[in-house]
Amino acid sequence: MNSAPTQNAIEVRDLGKKFLLHARGEATLKSVTLDWITGRRKSLREFWALQDLSFSVQAGETLGIVGANGAGKSTLLALLAGTKEPTTGTVETHGKISSLLELGAGFHPELTGRENVFLAGAIMGLSRARMSERFESIVEFAELNEFIDQPVKHYSSGMYVRLGFAVAVEVDPDILLLDEVLAVGDVSFQRKCLERIGEFRDEGKTMLIISHDLETIKKVSHRILFLEKGGMQGLGEPNAVIDDYDSRSRKLQSSGLRREWGSGEIQITSVSIRDVNQSPSEAFRFGDALTADIEFEASERIESPVFGFSIADSEGRLLYGNNTQLESFEIPFVEGTGSLRLRIGELRMGQGDYLLSFSVHSADHKKNFHRLDHHALIQVTSDAAFEGCYMPLQWELNRE
Amino acid sequence: MRALFRDLLTHRELLWILVQRNLKIRYKNSVLGFFWTLLGPIFLILIYWAFIRLLKIPIRIDALITGIVVWQFIATSMGDSLNAVLGNANLVTKTAFPRWLLPLSTVCANFVNYLLTFLVLLVFLLVRQAHFGPVYLLPLILLTHFALCLGLSFFVSSLNVFFRDVEHLMSVILLAWFFLSPVMYTNEYVSQMIHEQEGISCSIANLLQACYLINPMAGIVTSYRSALLSEDLLPLAMFVAPFLLSWAMLLTGLAVFQKLEKRFGDEL
Repeated sequence: MNSAPTQNAIEVRDLGKKFLLHARGEATLKSVTLDWITGRRKSLREFWALQDLSFSVQAGETLGIVGANGAGKSTLLALLAGTKEPTTGTVETHGKISSLLELGAGFHPELTGRENVFLAGAIMGLSRARMSERFESIVEFAELNEFIDQPVKHYSSGMYVRLGFAVAVEVDPDILLLDEVLAVGDVSFQRKCLERIGEFRDEGKTMLIISHDLETIKKVSHRILFLEKGGMQGLGEPNAVIDDYDSRSRKLQSSGLRREWGSGEIQITSVSIRDVNQSPSEAFRFGDALTADIEFEASERIESPVFGFSIADSEGRLLYGNNTQLESFEIPFVEGTGSLRLRIGELRMGQGDYLLSFSVHSADHKKNFHRLDHHALIQVTSDAAFEGCYMPLQWELNRE
Repeated sequence: MRALFRDLLTHRELLWILVQRNLKIRYKNSVLGFFWTLLGPIFLILIYWAFIRLLKIPIRIDALITGIVVWQFIATSMGDSLNAVLGNANLVTKTAFPRWLLPLSTVCANFVNYLLTFLVLLVFLLVRQAHFGPVYLLPLILLTHFALCLGLSFFVSSLNVFFRDVEHLMSVILLAWFFLSPVMYTNEYVSQMIHEQEGISCSIANLLQACYLINPMAGIVTSYRSALLSEDLLPLAMFVAPFLLSWAMLLTGLAVFQKLEKRFGDEL
């Protein structure tokens, strides 16, 4: 279409999208007039789904997009597809765009599959004649032979998506935008989709694919864009970006359990988790040693405080807890800054993610100076598949 | 403006499909199907005829039928326009195409229906050996009528996305507009009433008459009657204002629609 001097199929500059959320219910003339009269926009709340996003996609490149729910992935595709308008910045695309956005094509429920195919073609600006040529292969790909003349409102969700994918691919676009198509449909159709995506790639078409299926997206993409809270968190080589996304999303998950509280006479200013070589680490193997350096600051002189820690699983269930008092480690008093080193000789948990909590409280447990609940996340890998904590044990069998 | 024509050219197929769909869906699940296009106005005519006899409004049946057929186009267009965008939320949120084709296709579908009833009306008038007037003006009248409906459709379809109040407001406004327009009565009746008022000079009476005709539908209905029945013949200059206003409505409607369409995707 547009023969631009640039090789890029997509050029995104300083892209931002702001939504106005209705604080309560829908906008009515009354609420809007009231807001306007009072000069406030009280019933509306601003929300930036995307902010300051800039990147470009080369013609023929496949870009995977990952991110947590609400990171702005679908909004980005909608802006590229042109169904939403950017609030700030620009989107430049070169070539014909076809898209399958957020679980569903733009089908009309009352129309039959056949009519919807031609409707979709017309939306893309394809003539009826050209659409007729492709009709057979669309129906075949979507496996809808006897249903093609039924209204799509009677379709199962699988049939709906199959037809949507078939149409999106068969209208011969230069750029294909796919939002979570791999998440639906049965396994055989997923395989077919992937094959088609592969062919598309080989034909030198440009693709942007959103998926939560990290293994697949790693395989099909040339580069991966990692979005977080509407901004770019990473863009580059698939393996590196996916690994980063993976570890960050684990952290994000556990951060929901994170809590910090206490009266504050003693503050734990930092905790660093180190491996056996004293270098900061989050990844451990079963049996590894772990060191935690706890730095604290006491605003006044506190007599015989107790420092404690605990280990919980990724959902916050307590597995093990211990403290200086129980281990008869005497701390006569603290005042000012200082540090404490905890050494665990052997981590005996099974494979999984674990959350470490740290605390400092009074000897009689009546006063919590500072508690960091579920503060640090560590990953433990293990060859054995036992669950929870390992305890040395033996089995004995007696047969009568 | 050029962009609009380009949209229309590249998406003519889409417009055609949307118009077809509007027509198809309207008569889906109805036994008499397309005949309702005729039956609707016929029932209305019978009802109004009965009432007009009771109220003793001086209007000939030909003029009444013309008025109702003409009014039906705007009434049905407005009714369908409420959902022109809302009812296609799935298309708007999932695909990119010129949004203004939605109200356009809605009005076009109604126009097709209207033209068919209009043909029936012509046959009816021929059979009754009506005294036709300047019929060569009909294309201009039909086009202006279409422009007015489309302009209003732009307003209604886009505003209804953001304020569902439009739906309720519209039925009230349409009813008031119906009585303000010479559908159940004629423009002649109005001008007689004006001139019968005592203490009004001729020039003021003419001014009042012109004011009445500023209502685009008053001008349009009256112009149809002039062309088809040689009734209500007025100097052409009297029609300039309502006709210009109709076209102005089209332009402002389009401007409003294009401003609001940017937020359709967020709202639906």
